Amino acid sequence: MDVREATVVELVIAARDGQRAAFATLYERFHRVVHAIALARVAACDAGDVVQDVFTDAWHKLPRLREPAAFPGWILAIARHRAIDAARRRPTLDAAADLAVEPPPRLEAAAALRAIRALPDTYRETLIMRLVEGLSGPEIAAHTGMSPDSVRVHLHRGMKLLRERLGEGGER
Amino acid sequence: MTDPLYDKTGDDPELAALEAALGDYAHRAPLRELPPRRRRRRTTVIAAVLGAIAVAALAVLVVGRRGEPDCRAAGTGFAFAVDGGPARCAGSLAAHGTLPVGAWLETAGAATADVQVADIGRLTVFGDSRVRLVGTGATGHRLELARGRIAARVTAPPRLFVVDTPTASAVDLGCAYELTVEPDGRTRLRVTSGAVSLEARGLAAYAPMDTEVLAAPGRGPGTPVARSASAALGDAVVRFDAGDRSAVPAIVASAGPGDTATLWNLLARTAADDRAAVFARLDALSPLPADISADAVRAGDPGALERWREALVDRWMCVGCFQKSRP
Repeated sequence: MDVREATVVELVIAARDGQRAAFATLYERFHRVVHAIALARVAACDAGDVVQDVFTDAWHKLPRLREPAAFPGWILAIARHRAIDAARRRPTLDAAADLAVEPPPRLEAAAALRAIRALPDTYRETLIMRLVEGLSGPEIAAHTGMSPDSVRVHLHRGMKLLRERLGEGGER
Repeated sequence: MTDPLYDKTGDDPELAALEAALGDYAHRAPLRELPPRRRRRRTTVIAAVLGAIAVAALAVLVVGRRGEPDCRAAGTGFAFAVDGGPARCAGSLAAHGTLPVGAWLETAGAATADVQVADIGRLTVFGDSRVRLVGTGATGHRLELARGRIAARVTAPPRLFVVDTPTASAVDLGCAYELTVEPDGRTRLRVTSGAVSLEARGLAAYAPMDTEVLAAPGRGPGTPVARSASAALGDAVVRFDAGDRSAVPAIVASAGPGDTATLWNLLARTAADDRAAVFARLDALSPLPADISADAVRAGDPGALERWREALVDRWMCVGCFQKSRP
């Protein structure tokens, strides 16, 4: 099997059987949405660790995933649980922890990230997938199982709120 | 009709600027090496549980008989794995196991040990080092570094993870640092991410990312210095930490925009005219926020100093701002 051309279901079946190359391809396809879920909840300096923990956890648990097609929702559920656990350990999202990453982000990036985190849950993850990870709306829909219309609505409503917040200067 | 936000068609300069800035946070790290997959067959799990109980019971007998913890027994402690050379845990050679409370882990020259710090982080114990687990629980985790060097990366609320050395205690404020006990007994803390408080003898040094601080025997923690600081500033801080108060003017004169952490720490370590001079330089480099009283800072009021520190944190974490220009 050429993992580059394989479907998610084919990759899950192969990874479930222990093929690391297939699992690495699943990582390539899903690490950005997992990171977005983490970054919506935890400091930037912790989000990368959450991603690695999620995929290590998934590697161990994959043999118990009965329905390969359920992988996208399954990995995102693991990500949310892991991110919530990490957020409990560091309940305060301070500016320092968002700036303590390599390479150092611009200060305006930290301010914008804080503004996104202050938005309702519904919009946070989707906006981070789009604005931080650079995924298009259709890609977000494909990776999360949301309908394209829902993604479009979340993006536009979230963006409207974000522009208002940044325009107020309250997060700068 | 174009929709730059949804499908990236068309132009929206404001959106493009936001994407460019937030792209700094995009995830690019590769997948770490995967561990061998755990076998989860039911019979295996039952056997493992029974085995663990047996091992734990044996450990209790062994500890009770010899008074020595057993690093091969399952139980409360930090899991570790050694690579590159031999190591001893509780006096016995060990390539992996669990470091129990009270036991020492000692690495030979070329060995490194990877230690899992509960569920909050990891620790690398470098060669020729000696580390003891003092305690672990819901309220905190404490280690002792008697010799050598460790690197810690922790995700936890501030002050939950502490490492004691012969001269100071490194209190984690998140996220990563290196700690060395040098042959002459000094403790050297180098913060690589986040911030750490180095504490001893009633003094605390707040060391943010990319600073270094020493604690000498009998003196407590010194003053943090940026790794990019000039030699003149570094020399002056060494003199100040050794008790030479006349070094303050040299520190003030050589402090630049990347040295505000040094100046802020000095506010609590100086008095009268010296503090006024430090205040003036820090205020010139990073103006005091309008809602903090200058008189309170000059008087060394801890609340005012703390509020100014909170205002300075963005600057301290933006190390690249003082090393190279960003696009």
